[in-house]
Amino acid sequence: MHDFNRRNFLKVAGVSGAAALTGIGCATNGMREAERAHVVVVGGGSGGATAAKYIKQFSPNMRVTLIEPNATYYTCYGSNWVIGGFAGMDDIAQGYDTLRDEYGIEIVQDRVTAVDATARSVRLAGGDSMGYDKLVMSPGIDFRYDDMPGISEADADRIPHAWKAGSQTELLRSQLHSMPNGGVFVMVAPPNPFRCPPGPYERVSLVAHYLKQEKPRSKIIILDPKDGFSKQGLFEEGWAEHYGDMIEWRAGSSGGRAEEIDVSNMTVLADSGFERVRADVLNFIPAQRAGQIAHDVGLTNDAGWVPVDQLTFKSEMDDNIYVLGDASVAGAMPKSGHSANNQGKIVAAAIVRELAGQEPINPSSANTCYSLVTPDYAVSVAAVYQYQDGAQAGVSGAGGVSPSGASASFRRREAGYTRAWYNGITSDIWG
Amino acid sequence: MKKSHLYLVGLAASLAMAGTATQALADDEITRGQLMAASCKACHNAAAADDGVPELNRIPAEVIESQMKAFRDGDRDATIMDRHAKGYTDEEIESMAGYFSRF
Repeated sequence: MHDFNRRNFLKVAGVSGAAALTGIGCATNGMREAERAHVVVVGGGSGGATAAKYIKQFSPNMRVTLIEPNATYYTCYGSNWVIGGFAGMDDIAQGYDTLRDEYGIEIVQDRVTAVDATARSVRLAGGDSMGYDKLVMSPGIDFRYDDMPGISEADADRIPHAWKAGSQTELLRSQLHSMPNGGVFVMVAPPNPFRCPPGPYERVSLVAHYLKQEKPRSKIIILDPKDGFSKQGLFEEGWAEHYGDMIEWRAGSSGGRAEEIDVSNMTVLADSGFERVRADVLNFIPAQRAGQIAHDVGLTNDAGWVPVDQLTFKSEMDDNIYVLGDASVAGAMPKSGHSANNQGKIVAAAIVRELAGQEPINPSSANTCYSLVTPDYAVSVAAVYQYQDGAQAGVSGAGGVSPSGASASFRRREAGYTRAWYNGITSDIWG
Repeated sequence: MKKSHLYLVGLAASLAMAGTATQALADDEITRGQLMAASCKACHNAAAADDGVPELNRIPAEVIESQMKAFRDGDRDATIMDRHAKGYTDEEIESMAGYFSRF
């Protein structure tokens, strides 16, 4: 671990500033000191891997360690294509070889079990400890099974959430493929806030795409605690055009709020017990909260998410810990891979600048989110964000959703850009 | 520790420092234009170029500027870039374009 503390650093930076003014025209000691810092990144998903890569891009000599338990990371975005039957798990698999070999990031395949914020060190499941000057945490989400009577996390091997991609994605796909023609696919959608706001509705679209071809007498029911959802008008337009009445969405105020799950009978109880919905395949996406490690470290608020300074994504609880991605409270930015990617760049710049004694930058950033209604028909939502009055806020006049009533060729072009977006952003993060 | 934030515009900072003995530092400093250009690169990189998303590192600054302004002002059809471009001022577009042109 580097023996580096802020007071000594500021002293050095002050001296170097004076040296620069006297005409010594080399890179300052402040920059060199910053380059000796060790940044540890916890979590190799969209947020963590971006932060690690961009720290090395901005400051190539800085030491960066990325700790991620999985050798292969399956992106949640794109996983609905697998469930829909027109992509394989390989198509959504990402690895860490390029980050290690081309960017010089130390990859540690392990799980962080504890953080000692006072000593600035993390403990790994494998037994080792590792010191840091700055810690970046991108722990993603965990589920609140306790919020739904009748079901527990142990039931996920029968009733998949498939809201973290990997074996859960494969399980839901195989259940769908085993479902009889004429069966009922039931999704219990999550309450706000949750990872990937349009994701559940893209999923039922692509389940319908599969069923329409293979099991056309089947039915899809979405039980939703909410009374509206992302891109709702566009999804409903696409469903009507492509799937007729196969998809039935029940709003929370119209009996859609699931109240209990009877696991052994694959039945969802709703509407004060008046409604019992039996499923052949049941996709229960639980309510969500920040990943467990954020709770263990004491970084979360009462709602279960991590409050941060939204200019830099520095934790409000600890000056040397930055938290980004789905786990963070990020104002108007949705919990999406694209948000996490942007936040990774903001965090990388904030850390490099702070270690060099510089003030943070307030950039604009963006979110682009495509959803497929069929493999050839996509709709999108876009937004531009900037930090204003203490929060990430949408820049007024910008953003919005695809036009309603657009031509088939417009939807097809957006479907092409959906794949381009996937290839582009995964290359930006892991490539 | 809570500190007040100065919203430094990197470009302005670089210009202010140009010609002083701190030039080396200014050259190393991450600018606002650079950080916003990094945001563009999520989509606009070599991996997406085959699918019709232009790789901005290969486009001259004046073309990026003129096309962003055309998207923003409704002078060029788009599926999504019109919605993005409306979020940027002339100065922001120019600082991003200027960053890409360094490649």
